[in-house]
Amino acid sequence: MNTSAFVAGNGWLYRFDPRAKILLMVLLCIFFFLPITLLGLFLSVLLVIAVGWRNTGTKNIKGVFLSIAPMLLFMLLFSPFNVRSGEPLWRIGAVTIITVEGALQALRLACRFIGITYVCTLLFATTVMGEIMLALRFWRLPYKAALVVTLSFTYIPFIAESFSQIAESHRLREAALEERKNYIQRLKDLVPTLTSVLVVALRSIPNLAMSLEMRGLGRSERRTSYRSLDSYTRLFTDFVISITIVTMLWLIFKA
Amino acid sequence: MAHALTINNLRFSYLSYQERSNEPLFCDLSLSIEEGERVLLLAPFDMGKTTLAKIIGGVCPKYFPGTMTGSITLFGTDLSTVEPWQLLTEVGYVSQNPAEQFIATTVEEEIAFPLESLGLSRAEMRERIATVLEAWGLAHLGDANESELSGGERKRVLLAIQQALSPRLWLLDEPFDDLDPVWRVRLKETILAGGKTTLVLASRYLADFADLFDRVLLLDERRIVALPLRESLSRFSTLCGDDKPSPLLDQTIEDQRRTTLSAGALAVERKRRSTTSTPPFEMTVDSFALESGELVTLTGANGSGKSSFSRLLCGLDEPKRGVIAIDGKRQSTKELNRSVGYLFQNPDLQIFLPTVEEELSWSLRRRRELSSSEIAERVGFAADLFALDLGDTPTTMSYPKRKALQAAVYYLLDRPFYILDELDSALTYHSALSIMASLRQRGSGILLITHDRLFAAKVEGRAYTIEAGRLIER
Repeated sequence: MNTSAFVAGNGWLYRFDPRAKILLMVLLCIFFFLPITLLGLFLSVLLVIAVGWRNTGTKNIKGVFLSIAPMLLFMLLFSPFNVRSGEPLWRIGAVTIITVEGALQALRLACRFIGITYVCTLLFATTVMGEIMLALRFWRLPYKAALVVTLSFTYIPFIAESFSQIAESHRLREAALEERKNYIQRLKDLVPTLTSVLVVALRSIPNLAMSLEMRGLGRSERRTSYRSLDSYTRLFTDFVISITIVTMLWLIFKA
Repeated sequence: MAHALTINNLRFSYLSYQERSNEPLFCDLSLSIEEGERVLLLAPFDMGKTTLAKIIGGVCPKYFPGTMTGSITLFGTDLSTVEPWQLLTEVGYVSQNPAEQFIATTVEEEIAFPLESLGLSRAEMRERIATVLEAWGLAHLGDANESELSGGERKRVLLAIQQALSPRLWLLDEPFDDLDPVWRVRLKETILAGGKTTLVLASRYLADFADLFDRVLLLDERRIVALPLRESLSRFSTLCGDDKPSPLLDQTIEDQRRTTLSAGALAVERKRRSTTSTPPFEMTVDSFALESGELVTLTGANGSGKSSFSRLLCGLDEPKRGVIAIDGKRQSTKELNRSVGYLFQNPDLQIFLPTVEEELSWSLRRRRELSSSEIAERVGFAADLFALDLGDTPTTMSYPKRKALQAAVYYLLDRPFYILDELDSALTYHSALSIMASLRQRGSGILLITHDRLFAAKVEGRAYTIEAGRLIER
């Protein structure tokens, strides 16, 4: 009942120590909220996407973007209205609809959202789940908490895949003589699809609980690990690289 | 000899979410299995076979709420006093639906998970995992994700876990389903060599494996009965309706339309996203044809590409190269979507509305040329034909009923061609043949995908198979 976010590859991000990768992920997420120029934020996000594209390929990068596109659209459409002060950008009569500050704020929010999404998905796209578990435990996360994190990240692609399977099923159920659908009809069609996805997801919960317990989760023995991080021999170097990357970005782009 | 499993006067009924209470699945059901015994429990579909397996595994009613009375003892331990994780080395369960048991993201990690729970050393885990991957033909799929495996490969992963753990009781729910003949024989050999107590729950009697079992029992009228084998099989056949003549025999086709679905010089390629260690899956189809009213079977080993080929025929995927045509006219994927009905193996991916009536009328309501009364008439007819209650809620209906609903939906679409993927996997032969007959009634051509040679033999017609990545007519 799960789908992996991992995309097989052999780029440098795959060889980067998962423990350092987690540090880099956290530092980059913090960096996106530091006082940096909008251009700097934009270029940093572009850099993350370029690294992701080089390592995981166009299909993965495109897939991630499409999955956040609806939320991004809402963000860009509605957040500019929240900032009322500043130089007017669009006015209707005497009423200012959007200000320059509002538009810039929306762009900043969108860049942060895209950046955080890509940083997190790249961790899961370039590291197998067992190694993420070990890396999280290295950072002192208890086993069950690490398991919850990793299971949550397998649930997202599982739900996405269920959605695409159910959408395929709808395509096959279209009547042969059906008229061309308008946008309202398309939106209406989303409701049963989302309902089915919800049903599939809810149904999988007792099965997941059953499987975890039948596979011994909860036993009193000390749990061992099949995987190890021994093959990553440059932990210190990768830590230094992680900190250096974020420090350099901060020094170059600070406002 | 000591008892491995003892069940006394078990009664169980699922929690009802409707006004009326659910009928009990078992009434005073009793069963005793001795250590080392191999028992086959035959039960028609929807009679509580899987529920019984989950009760023995200690997860029902814990995660599947219901009312249960009676006692169960497993190797001398009262089951009500232990948690499922304490039974890890006592009972190993292989589900009828393998996908529901996967928790890890790669095959290797899936097998490793219970071994990690036992606290085994890494070296021992590596050795056990390598052995079972080799034994079940999964060595090249160690890094693969569950979503990239075929149904048979998923089943083999669960059997590999079973072998790696080697619990005292092997609890196998429809273990031969999804497996091709080679792996069915391997499973039989593994059970025989293992010498473990084995309870196989099945809804179909496979004569080829008769010598595997010490006893054959029957779940009949909510109890387990032990009859002489011949009587058991005769009664079982009656319960399943398989003693009735095939509805496909001497069937009169109403509409004599003549249409041909054909494919030529097709090539399919599918890359596995989660591993670079295995080459992409490839398959070629030199020539394929399916005519109106025709019954054609497609068989092939696990992972040979049956589903990939089906997805091309109904336009869900595009071929790498080649042409799919109807009456010689090349078809786009959208045209194929509307000409070839593909009944997925899992009906839950194709039904999604709150009532049977809404489900059946969903497509019809989108056709402006149909009046409300015409829609109601067609929906009512389909409901009668497939024995469905229009007020029922699909999500709470039994699996065979959901499968019938899935077929009824496609019946109303009136496609010229249908692909039925493992239709027989959770239905009696008679139910599956009845669905085929109904879909064929108006002249549709039917391509049936199955692993079951016995079922394929009941369907007279041409047969295709996939061997070494090539579709060939037998």
